[in-house]
Amino acid sequence: MIMKTDEQDSNPSFVLRAIKDVAFEDRAVPKLRDEHDVRIHIAQTGICGSDVHYWQRGRIGDFILNSPIVLGHESSGTVVEVGSAVKNVKVGQRVAVEPGVPCRFCGYCRSGQYNLCNDTIFAATPPWDGTLSKYYIVASDYTYPIPDHMNMEEGALVEPVAVAVQITKVADLRANQTVVVFGCGPIGVLCQAVAKAYGASRVIGVDAVQSRLDFASSFGADDVFLPPKPESGVDPIEHAERVAALLKEKFNLGEGPDVVLECTGAEPCIQTGVFVTKKGGTYVQAGMGKEVVAFPITTACIRALNIKGSIRYTTGCYPAAVDLVASGKIDVKRLITNRFKFEEAEQAFELVKAGKQDVFKVVIEGVQ
Amino acid sequence: MAEKNPSFVLEKAGSVYYEDRPVPELKSPYDVLINVKFTGICGSDVHYWVDGAIGSFVVKQPMVLGHESSGIVHSVGSSVTSLKPGDRVAMEPGVPCRRCVRCKEGKYNLCAHMAFAATPPYDGTLAKYYSLPEDFCYKLPEHLSLEEGALVEPLSVGVHIVKQAAVRPGDSVIVFGAGPVGLLCCAVAKAFGASKIVTVDINEERMAFAQKYAATHAFRSQRESAADSGARLIRDCDLGLGADVIIDASGAEICIQTAIHALRVGGTYVQGGMGKNEITFPIMAMCTKELNVKGSFRYSSGDYQLAVDLLASGRISVKELITGKVSFKEAEKAFTDVKAGKGIKMLIEGVED
Repeated sequence: MIMKTDEQDSNPSFVLRAIKDVAFEDRAVPKLRDEHDVRIHIAQTGICGSDVHYWQRGRIGDFILNSPIVLGHESSGTVVEVGSAVKNVKVGQRVAVEPGVPCRFCGYCRSGQYNLCNDTIFAATPPWDGTLSKYYIVASDYTYPIPDHMNMEEGALVEPVAVAVQITKVADLRANQTVVVFGCGPIGVLCQAVAKAYGASRVIGVDAVQSRLDFASSFGADDVFLPPKPESGVDPIEHAERVAALLKEKFNLGEGPDVVLECTGAEPCIQTGVFVTKKGGTYVQAGMGKEVVAFPITTACIRALNIKGSIRYTTGCYPAAVDLVASGKIDVKRLITNRFKFEEAEQAFELVKAGKQDVFKVVIEGVQ
Repeated sequence: MAEKNPSFVLEKAGSVYYEDRPVPELKSPYDVLINVKFTGICGSDVHYWVDGAIGSFVVKQPMVLGHESSGIVHSVGSSVTSLKPGDRVAMEPGVPCRRCVRCKEGKYNLCAHMAFAATPPYDGTLAKYYSLPEDFCYKLPEHLSLEEGALVEPLSVGVHIVKQAAVRPGDSVIVFGAGPVGLLCCAVAKAFGASKIVTVDINEERMAFAQKYAATHAFRSQRESAADSGARLIRDCDLGLGADVIIDASGAEICIQTAIHALRVGGTYVQGGMGKNEITFPIMAMCTKELNVKGSFRYSSGDYQLAVDLLASGRISVKELITGKVSFKEAEKAFTDVKAGKGIKMLIEGVED
């Protein structure tokens, strides 16, 4: 399983060949496809729940693993080759990589919603290869220089920060608003930090695991909340309403927070989230769990809630994310709990899969 | 292909000539080659013809004129999926870079690298053939003629202006200027559900036409201050506390000033017309009335398709705006007529086969 590197340049890659079947392969060094492409020597790659999901289940929604793909999509690296029309980066520049390049021609792309493009080439979403290779090819306008004082691990964490930036954009977060974030995993705590950086007056993090709440308190949340478990026999909806009332009371949220960011995908959190949002407020679904849940739709109607979905990122998210990290407003280094060498990639995935409480963000070093 | 590409070229201000140029090559597998059939003329075309420049856009080398065109697809690149030879299309003449921030946020009309037909240094559409990417060609349904297809461009300008103005059903709208763009703004405002549409112009004929076409009221200007004119507009047209939306399609200073006074508090003003670079503007009224003041430039995502759909559904008609047609060989005559203010829209036919 450990590949030998040749004297000649090669492209060692960590490949998902089939469900639960990963291996290292030596692939060809990729070539630039056109004059706008750049080739990146990947430096660091973070692991996301979706990577683990493809590995274990082989599909997310309509994206089905039908042929081997290289894994990974949260990366940073150094530009080693540029196409003739490239102006925004130079060889030697260190960049954060935006892993989804849309078609640029369809209605979504042309109207500023490129995250919805049907023909997006997204790293490690079947059938497209990801970034866990020595080299990765991407259009230059999807790479973002990072300043000298940002290291490559921080560069790799720009991707989840960009996800959090998009979530707050969708929420149309304004200064001095109150925000409740369900979930204190990486996305949840980053949403809390972004909301704070963007002027929220009060950010409350909710989670079922105390250690995660403890971290969230030290990161971006002003307050944290551990919801009580339902007593046996209690209707889950009634329980969700009770938890919502508790939340509002405990943190003096009046009629409720202006904004709720749902970053768990867990049905009880979704229900509580709808019940807690103030009238006319905004609820954003960012977390992914069961595809179909029991949703308090009449509450949503009567309280005139704005309910929106958020997926990936749009124009401006990556530059905003780089700025949030570079300026020190969000210290992403604190999210990294485990580091692995490229050859240990499979162990890294196993660790994320095991879901231990003390494991938060795992990064894999690139091929040296 | 030995076939040539007869083109109508502006050499410099005041001097035009015909030239056989090479047939354009498809630069990308997503491109199509179109046999241009009809081209309308716009004030900007006339401006380049007369002055050789608009602002910082200067004609430094000979340039093919024309940008308001329709045509028939001649050949398609290998990756084209939605068009085939023989398809009749309205042509969107400005292709953006697709990579910059403006493009990716959905405002491709503001792309700094826009390649726009007949804006220097890019050649226009008054040639036998013109190439465009697939997504900048819009199929015309059977019941729309190619002549109407050539009007899709100015109609799209009107669509974009009315969208900038965010006209909502029930709104009262005033449009200053009853030239082609002003008329089309009235028509789009009507299609968007405006309950009252006032046309304003100094030309009686144009105003009468506008009232038959899409406006509900006409307003005759007099020699008076802009504030008085604005107040009179509100009274004469029963605009209550003032108009919800005013669009300027004239560029005339007095119209712009009058508009600010004719709007209700919180109303919206959109500058579509182009006149003097700098004017005297009632900025205190704009401030204290908390007006939304916006510019509008060309068209962007969704505008062309909406224009075609509005025509296809019959909610807007453009046939009555076509007041003259000349053959390709008589193109210069069309420019002369438009400069003299004759008619509404003159079309130049494509090169005969």
